[in-house]
Amino acid sequence: MTSLSDLEAQVAPREALLDRLRALLVERLHLSREVDELDPDAPLFGSGFGLDSLDAVELVVCLESEFGVRVGDAIALRQVFRSLNTMTDLVLAERGQP
Amino acid sequence: MTVAAEVRALRSGAVVGAGDHLACVRVRGAGAHDLLDRVSPRELFVRSGQLLHTVLLDDAALPIADVYIGCDDDDYLVIAEGMSGPAVADYLAAHAHGLDAAIEDTSASHAFLCLGGPYAWEVLAELTTPDVIGLPYLGFFHEPRFSCFRAGKTGEYGYDLWIARDRLPAVRERLAEVGRAFDLTEISPDGLAVAALENWFWNPRRDVRPGLTPIELQLQWRVTYGRAFPGSEALAARRRKVRQRAVLAVSPAELADDAAITIGDRSVGSVLHAEWSPTREEWIALALLDRPIAHAGLAGLVAHTRAGAAPVRTLSAPAVNNRSLYVDPQRHSYATRHLETFSPLVRA
Repeated sequence: MTSLSDLEAQVAPREALLDRLRALLVERLHLSREVDELDPDAPLFGSGFGLDSLDAVELVVCLESEFGVRVGDAIALRQVFRSLNTMTDLVLAERGQP
Repeated sequence: MTVAAEVRALRSGAVVGAGDHLACVRVRGAGAHDLLDRVSPRELFVRSGQLLHTVLLDDAALPIADVYIGCDDDDYLVIAEGMSGPAVADYLAAHAHGLDAAIEDTSASHAFLCLGGPYAWEVLAELTTPDVIGLPYLGFFHEPRFSCFRAGKTGEYGYDLWIARDRLPAVRERLAEVGRAFDLTEISPDGLAVAALENWFWNPRRDVRPGLTPIELQLQWRVTYGRAFPGSEALAARRRKVRQRAVLAVSPAELADDAAITIGDRSVGSVLHAEWSPTREEWIALALLDRPIAHAGLAGLVAHTRAGAAPVRTLSAPAVNNRSLYVDPQRHSYATRHLETFSPLVRA
């Protein structure tokens, strides 16, 4: 049976990654938000944080430089860049921590 | 037709449904901008022909309506879900002191039709002109028969048509004619609500509880802190003591609203709103979990319903890999859809 401490262990790597991604959005994409405002499932583009195609290029660069994750497939990017959580899913999967 | 069939049609083709859950209020006058700026939790930066997606809050910072605020030359439009037209007008009037603003609820004179789906743009192009294909998300235009807002809460191409009631039958008839080539399917309010949940859109008719502010609901993107609006002080205070957060949850077993969620013998949250997801073919829910564990990617939770214990796992929103992400109006067409290979609607 899963315990609360098991769940907290599941959460820890995701929480750490989310914190890094939030910081990247603020520092490198100059998002005018406090990090605690960046909800993990909020839409990154369109009506959400309002990122645009230039920001998408910067996010691709960030994923590679900060996490060693390459996303060469433009089709896959559409799913990956929906939210901070979907970006986190990709990085965790690359690390073998789904 | 079942809700499941409606949602499947929405995810693969095009649907249309009555937008009786929507209301539109027009605000005119020299004080129109200042009034909307006063009530909008999000900075009101919107050009003519554009919509801003935000919420209306009460003084306790509880969201009471999901709204788009549109700038229409010198006027503003408030398209609301969760409040009736008269209630929106009353809300605005209550905050209009000292401003020159005429507030007009259009519920009696106008109605909405909601057009959605990965090929909805193609239906709309047949109904109007091919130019509509270039209408950006959260843009709108007027044509003689109706106004068209590119919005929707299903994750697919979505267009809310705002139509004078005396023109509604003719538009309906014309839609039925052009829709035949697209197998245009009628969708019910329940179908739209299920699709909205699959795509992580807050439902102001279901996802409202005492104590749930935009912070718990992951709606902070619809708020700009540091400005004054109804509920701003309560929201700022709430920010320092958040105890729970909504996450997307799924289960192969039946889930139900308000079911307690536990881990071991410890309560860690509850189901806020559950539906059967025809796209995922499993139960899906907005779950409210204690903040330390309110994350995607969890397994091992249990929801307790009358039907018994249901295993629950959490996942990143949205729950659907929408086909509209991949359908390109410049390349694709409903008529040739069978020749295309798209990503699966559900991620592995």
